This record gives sequence, structure tokens and C-alpha cells, in this order.
Amino acid sequence: MVRAYKHEHIYRHPWDRVTTASWRKFTDPDTPAVLSHVLDVHTLSRRLDAASGCLHTVRSITVRSPSLPFFLRRIIGGEAVVCHCIETSVVDPRARSMEIVAVNASLRGLIEVEERSSYQPHPENPEGWTLLRQDTSIRCKPFKALAAVAEKVEQRCVERFQQNSVKGREFVERICKYLEAESSAAAAGATAS
Amino acid sequence: MGFVKSSPASQCADLRTAYHDCFNRWFSERFSKGKCDKEECVAEWEKYRGCLAENLKEKHLRNILLEAEESYFPNKGHDGSRSCFNHQ
Repeated sequence: MVRAYKHEHIYRHPWDRVTTASWRKFTDPDTPAVLSHVLDVHTLSRRLDAASGCLHTVRSITVRSPSLPFFLRRIIGGEAVVCHCIETSVVDPRARSMEIVAVNASLRGLIEVEERSSYQPHPENPEGWTLLRQDTSIRCKPFKALAAVAEKVEQRCVERFQQNSVKGREFVERICKYLEAESSAAAAGATAS
Repeated sequence: MGFVKSSPASQCADLRTAYHDCFNRWFSERFSKGKCDKEECVAEWEKYRGCLAENLKEKHLRNILLEAEESYFPNKGHDGSRSCFNHQ
């Protein structure tokens, strides 16, 4: 099931200032206070295409993952606390366009999030305003998630079952020895009588 | 497992800051205004990237980093004379 939503925002600032600010969003000294879910940001690649003059960048953005139901957290383990996102962007300074696509790289077995952002001069005031368009889609993968959960539960059951089997065998051994001792005592008693 | 205790951030923090400062200045003063006529921030980028290559542990992120590194060398068919990242 996919949920998609769009959002538009007008910055009453010129395009070069808004895109500069966008680059600083995750790396500003105040970022940890304002965007507390962001844990880490790294640039993984950057390339300026000589022919087009476009800047291509890939960044990783590590965020605190959203709260998961407790049973999923226990099954998935500690990795769920941290979620890595990959942000790919292209900036074309001649056309004054900045396009960004961010997807989650972690937890993709459970959920796929894609956010597309586009910064362009606002058509009504291209020199003074910037239009941000954002399209977000979120897709949960219930069947795959259930399968993963089922597999983990099954694994735990197998382990528990095997442990119980060992205990069961040992207990039967103990009972056998008890019965053997009881039988010997009875036989000794019968012989004596 | 909680927070990443020994993240690349701690080892490479200073190099990253140096690169970001340079990048932000270049982007704001030159690139976003359509001016791009000389190399910028190459030394900072390479130091920072080198640190990441040694310290970044997450496999998926390492793959992106190392694949980009292989394709990045400017002598591989790029038109160096017009590139802002000209190493010549």
C-alpha cells in the first residue's frame, strides 16, 4: 500500500540563497538542536559535470528511526534505532534548478520512503522567490514484514523446541533409572520373601 | 544497540567541517550564482573522503563511497579545461 502526498512552499528569497540554505540544513551548528532526529551526515560522492555544468552529489543522512512496535523492535534488534537515508541531488545553476531524491537505505524490508524535492525560481517572482515542491511516497510492505517476523518467530521456536527436547530426553533417562531401581528393589524383595 | 558510538563522524568531524565550510562558501558565492571558473575545495574533499574510506563501516554506504571514488578521477575522459574540479 502506498501513501503519497505533495507539498509546496514559497520561500521569499532568491534561488541561490535558498539552495545554499538547503545545503546547510543538516550541517549547521544548530542542526542537532533543531533537527534532533538527524544523527549524522556524510558526503559520499560529488561530481561536477563539465559539459552540463551540473553538480551531482550523493550524501548519507543517518536519522533516529521512528518508534516501532515493541515486538518488532525486539525481533529486528538494535539496528532499528538508526536508519540510513541516501540523498542524491543535481544542481543546475544555469537553469536554476536543484533536484533532490532521498530514500531510506535501512529498514527497506519493512518500509520504502521516497521524497523528491525541487527548488526553482518562483514563476511569479523568479528573481526574488523560490518555489519548493515536495513529493513524498511511503510504502509499507506488510507481507514481507510478516514473513520476516514469521521467520524470526519460527527460528526462536525451533531453538526453544530443541532445548526442550534435550530436557525431555534427559528427564526420560532419569525416570528410566528410577524405574530400574524400583524394579530391582521389588525383585530383590520378591526373591527374599 | 542504541547510538552509534564510534561513528565516522567522530574520526572525520574536523575534516568534514573544513570541507563543508569550503563547499558552502563556494556554493553560495560562486556556483549558485552561475560562476564556476576554477577548482574549489579539492584538497578538503580528498582529505575528508580519505578519512571516510578508512572509517565508514556501513557496507551499503561504503559501496557508494568507493564506487564514486573509482569513477571520479578527473583524467578519465573529463573535459578538464571546463571543469570546476580540474586537478591540472
